[in-house]
Amino acid sequence: MSIARAQHCRTLLFVALAASVSFSFAQTKVTEYQVKAAYLYNFGKFVNWPDTQANRPIFNICILGQDPFGADLDGVLTNATIGGKRASPKRITDTSAAQGCQIVFISSSESGKLDRILPALDKLHALTVSDMPRFLDHNGMIQFVMDSGRVRFEVNLAAADTAGLGFSSQLLKVASSVKRSEKKGE
Amino acid sequence: MSANDYPIFRRLTRMNMLASTLALVVACTAFLAYDVFLFREGLLRNLNVQAQIIGSNSVSALTFNDPKSAQSTLSALSLSSNIISAGISTPDGQRFAHYSRTGGAELVQVPALAAGNDEAHWFGLNEVVVVHTIVFQGANVGTVYIQSDLNRFYARVWQYVLILALILFASLFAARFISAYFGKAVAQPIAALSETAQTVSRQKNYSIRVMDSGAGGEVSVLIRAFNEMLEQIQRRDDELQGARVGLEKRVEERTRQLVAANRELEAFSYSVSHDLRNPLETISGFSYLLLQEYGDKLGPAGKANLQEVNDATKRMAQLIDDLLALAHASSTAMHREKVDLTQMTKSIKSELQRRQPERDVSFVISECVSAEGDSSLLRVVMENLLNNAWKYTSGREKGRIEFGCKQESGTTVYYVRDNGAGFDPENIDRLFKPFQRLHSKSEFPGTGVGLATVQRIIHRHGGEIWAEAKVGEGAAFYFILQPELAARQWA
Repeated sequence: MSIARAQHCRTLLFVALAASVSFSFAQTKVTEYQVKAAYLYNFGKFVNWPDTQANRPIFNICILGQDPFGADLDGVLTNATIGGKRASPKRITDTSAAQGCQIVFISSSESGKLDRILPALDKLHALTVSDMPRFLDHNGMIQFVMDSGRVRFEVNLAAADTAGLGFSSQLLKVASSVKRSEKKGE
Repeated sequence: MSANDYPIFRRLTRMNMLASTLALVVACTAFLAYDVFLFREGLLRNLNVQAQIIGSNSVSALTFNDPKSAQSTLSALSLSSNIISAGISTPDGQRFAHYSRTGGAELVQVPALAAGNDEAHWFGLNEVVVVHTIVFQGANVGTVYIQSDLNRFYARVWQYVLILALILFASLFAARFISAYFGKAVAQPIAALSETAQTVSRQKNYSIRVMDSGAGGEVSVLIRAFNEMLEQIQRRDDELQGARVGLEKRVEERTRQLVAANRELEAFSYSVSHDLRNPLETISGFSYLLLQEYGDKLGPAGKANLQEVNDATKRMAQLIDDLLALAHASSTAMHREKVDLTQMTKSIKSELQRRQPERDVSFVISECVSAEGDSSLLRVVMENLLNNAWKYTSGREKGRIEFGCKQESGTTVYYVRDNGAGFDPENIDRLFKPFQRLHSKSEFPGTGVGLATVQRIIHRHGGEIWAEAKVGEGAAFYFILQPELAARQWA
């Protein structure tokens, strides 16, 4: 885990905002996708990428397919950094454009093409996230779930392992469920 | 005498104990302060580490809004019994997770930390609170606080105080023993010295010396100096005693010489007076013969001249008699007895009246006046005084002579008073000197030895004589006798 301390003050401000936003989601008018956008960004801090990906100058968070975030993600990523790199949103329509994406959110519009999309992204060592049901069963890595009005997420360790990604234990601690590699046992 | 009875020893012991107590209290206080400081630092470091661990373990919980996860992290603090409560808040100050030792909901109000300050702590009377901001990747994701009690801290302090008291007690005990051992060595010689000094000053015995017990140092010097001083005083005392004895001897010697010289002088004057009598009687006898046998041939002028010679011889004989009386008054042995002065005065009065029956002199004589002294000498006194009174009243048609006594402040004052010629009081100091006369020979005949003799006799009786007079108004002579003061005079 690369916990390099970021120097941008704005980040601090923003994370504070994100945290408070996520905490008070149920009570205030923070929308579901605002929380998800913040989580998407935060995942970047708890995941280790192989060196090929880690060496890129820009941290790209991509949305594949129909964009459910609108301006929310752009808002979250304004002046944000992950591991000292500038975080940037990117919208793609195909896996062929996913080169350079560290995190790829797969919109539910792509649910029919998952079996083709996911192996392609695995090869690119991208973290795959989605909120479509049964995403983890298709070897997706993180799936948003709603738990009594709160946004939570489930993790598929085996899938991350396949793509060469490492999850921080801290991330696993707060995941609502963790799906582990069958070889290693539950 | 035990060492405790010396005031100096008690003072030394007190001083020692006080000094050691002070030193110990200062040392122990310093140790205690240092230890308290170290312990405090250690406690703070410990709490800081715990806060940091909890903080970094709660990052994801905060990031992904999972209070349960944070709660389970916090509950690990139950292993540290000193922690009262702990809590995690979000950056906007909302409570995120909380732990309490009692399971209650005591909350510590954590004030916002100043910008740039990652940690803070403060001490209460029974607690210490440590606050840490949780920073993840340069961002402040929350705040953690830990509140710990100070039971162990106070236990530590109590332990120290207890140890201090124990050490203090032991040291005082030791100091007392050491004082008893060394103090005695110092105090005993000094106490012995002061005791000796008191004895010396009380008994005035300068032959005493202080034993030097070999204490050494200043005490030995003091003892030596004291002994030397005593020696000097003793030497000087001896010298003084010797000088006094010598002086007394010399005075005695001189007195003896003086007395002898006086005796010799008196004997000499007595023999001279006595020896003068023979040629005088020859002159008197032959001038008488001359007058009887050849008076016719001498003519009236020659007879007158011869009469002058005869008168002169008579006067000289009187003078010699008086001088002999004076010498006798000075040297004769005195016998103390009771003397009836009234009777004596009466007998002298009769004698005077028999001698000059033509004179009209009235006598006033007090009855029963008596005195202590030598009767023959006192008779000389009374004869002289009464003779004088008789003589100096000769110019009065009616003479009056009084004799009596009066009491003045417990002393009997005798007096002889007349209404005769008197004298000038200015000359009173010449009155009692031999051969000094206040009146011319032609006026009142006399040798001027009588009052000198009287004064000598009165002095030999330890008394005093004085006079009061006015010219033409008579004279009064007063005298007192104090035979008990003249003890050496009595035979």
